Amino acid sequence: MGHLYTTREQYAPEQLEEMKRKYTPPELVCCAGSRETIDREVVFVGIGVSDLAGALAKLVHTPNVILVAEAGYIGFPSLAVLISPADNSAGAMAMCHQSLPEMFIDQQSGFVDVAYLGFAQMDKYGNVNVSYITGPQVKMNGSGGGGDTASSAGRVVYTVEFNPRQWVKKVDYMTEPGFFDGSYDARKKANLVGGGPCAVITNRGVFRFAPETHELYLAEVFPWQDEKDIEEVRKSFPWDLKVAEELKIMEPPTERELWALKLMDSTSQYIVANVMDRPIGKIILAGKFDLEGYDEFLGLTEKAISEILEFVS
Amino acid sequence: MKTIVKGLKTTNYEERSKDTDHKKKLNKVMTEKEAVETFLHDGDSFCIGGFVMWRQSESVFREIARQGKKNLSIIDESGTWEGIDLLVELGMLDRIDTAYAITRQVGGISGTPALERGLKEGLPRPVEAGGVLATPRDKVRSDVPPLKIVDWTNFQVSLRFVAGAFNVPFMPCRSSFGTDIPKYNKDIREITDPYENKPLILVPAYKPDVAFISVQRADRRGNGQIWGFKGTDYWKARAAKHVILLAEELVPVEKIYENPGLTVIPAYCTDAVVHLPFNCHPTGCFGCYTVDGINFIALLLQRQSRDGALKWLDEWVFGCKNHLEYCDKLGWEKLDRLAKSEHKLNRIPD
Repeated sequence: MGHLYTTREQYAPEQLEEMKRKYTPPELVCCAGSRETIDREVVFVGIGVSDLAGALAKLVHTPNVILVAEAGYIGFPSLAVLISPADNSAGAMAMCHQSLPEMFIDQQSGFVDVAYLGFAQMDKYGNVNVSYITGPQVKMNGSGGGGDTASSAGRVVYTVEFNPRQWVKKVDYMTEPGFFDGSYDARKKANLVGGGPCAVITNRGVFRFAPETHELYLAEVFPWQDEKDIEEVRKSFPWDLKVAEELKIMEPPTERELWALKLMDSTSQYIVANVMDRPIGKIILAGKFDLEGYDEFLGLTEKAISEILEFVS
Repeated sequence: MKTIVKGLKTTNYEERSKDTDHKKKLNKVMTEKEAVETFLHDGDSFCIGGFVMWRQSESVFREIARQGKKNLSIIDESGTWEGIDLLVELGMLDRIDTAYAITRQVGGISGTPALERGLKEGLPRPVEAGGVLATPRDKVRSDVPPLKIVDWTNFQVSLRFVAGAFNVPFMPCRSSFGTDIPKYNKDIREITDPYENKPLILVPAYKPDVAFISVQRADRRGNGQIWGFKGTDYWKARAAKHVILLAEELVPVEKIYENPGLTVIPAYCTDAVVHLPFNCHPTGCFGCYTVDGINFIALLLQRQSRDGALKWLDEWVFGCKNHLEYCDKLGWEKLDRLAKSEHKLNRIPD
């Protein structure tokens, strides 16, 4: 799968303004993230946005990738967004059902080409914190399988909604290894199996790591991101962020990508940030704890899955 | 002539037979209440099967809460936390070894409200998390020991069970070199591999006192068959001292022989079998019923405050004598609806 690139000149200023408003951050992240795979690769998906990007890759761009989820599901068609790596939609029509340690053993053996993960904090060299954010508001989460995946997957694509606070000089807690101090053989010296992070996909551009120095730089932007916007992005970093000499312009989300995204996330688990604004929140607020509420909620997923089933079969 | 071999201990057959008594029975069926009473004691460590939101024995947490166990510890890769948080709310846990706590994953509401309260207010117990976070000192009472949380990765936790099942003291892996996980968790050791002189991470074996494992199908002898992902379940069943299967379906022994390939937990691992449909609720069970999202979000919302959580406990745990009463209260028609939804995707063959 090639990346989808375009030029700014293709669009009239009004068009750019309209596009800027049209897409939500999760839509931009998932669609841009889905363009990172090569066909026939083995793709490890996380949950939420990190799953949606991989799932879109399978549905839209690279149909022969093998999706794997850490609970033990391999080679599934991706019928709905994963809330958990153990979801029934990963088990349905899968090639293989195995165990969790086997999944990580396979990864440590080098079978996983690319993995999608999320993060809370990242430094200049791609070291990641998903465990503890200290400070006024206490946040805890933990490695899950992220620490293992960042250690052993062939390459890691981080998908995350842009937030100025996520870029730090030093992470509060290093859960997942990036390139440590950036030195060219740091990962090899540490005896890590995987190649480390290769891209950070956000709604305000795609960042990559320089080959020699392993320093994060801005590589690609969306057409509506002008000089001013890029400068604003740069200012969010606590270091002097470099920008690629030949900055590429990404094509905005395609119709096909958006269609697949809507079907995958039929109950807006990830497209809508706050749970009370999602269909499930509305059902709860309306006090529909009876069979009618269950019919309404489960019906949403069932309908979307049957549409995807029709498409994949 | 008598030869003395130093350090050689004779096997204490009497002690050993006590341990394997239950495992040798031909009928291991009992109720959930009996199983928890018989095998889980104050101060014990335990684990449950499954993985986040799926095939997790949530009913067991409610039964443990009803029986008022104390000083328990749990080890879990990435759990749903619905049940763990319940025991945190009741102050029943001394230590949690885990890879993941979903405090900020559930769309603006906390996935582990009791744990967060413990961290902020020291109620019901103060919390020490991973050597990084702790309840503020002024909120810590000296008579209440803290709940300790220790960080691992998923692979490392699962390898601890693998080592336990192998009956070796540790397993090596190549995860989390140079990160803060081994820095703060002193149970993880980094050594130089004696063969290739390269760094290697070791995790210690873990043999919990009890493993509760939900399975789709089991027989009275304790053969457990699992459909869908296997998690770390068959390693847990071999590592634990006592294994309790919670079966969606209890089948005749002959039925097990039809699909021997699915018997991932053979009878000799198992101490007790509990026939308990919908025991994973509100999580799902592959091929049987899907996750009850409405119930899950609604109970999280209610449990965001301590008052709400205690009210929830009164209503759904202490107000129900057992899991079947919990199902009665919830409404079987809703459970059937969850089953119908799952059957559109996956089904356990007859």
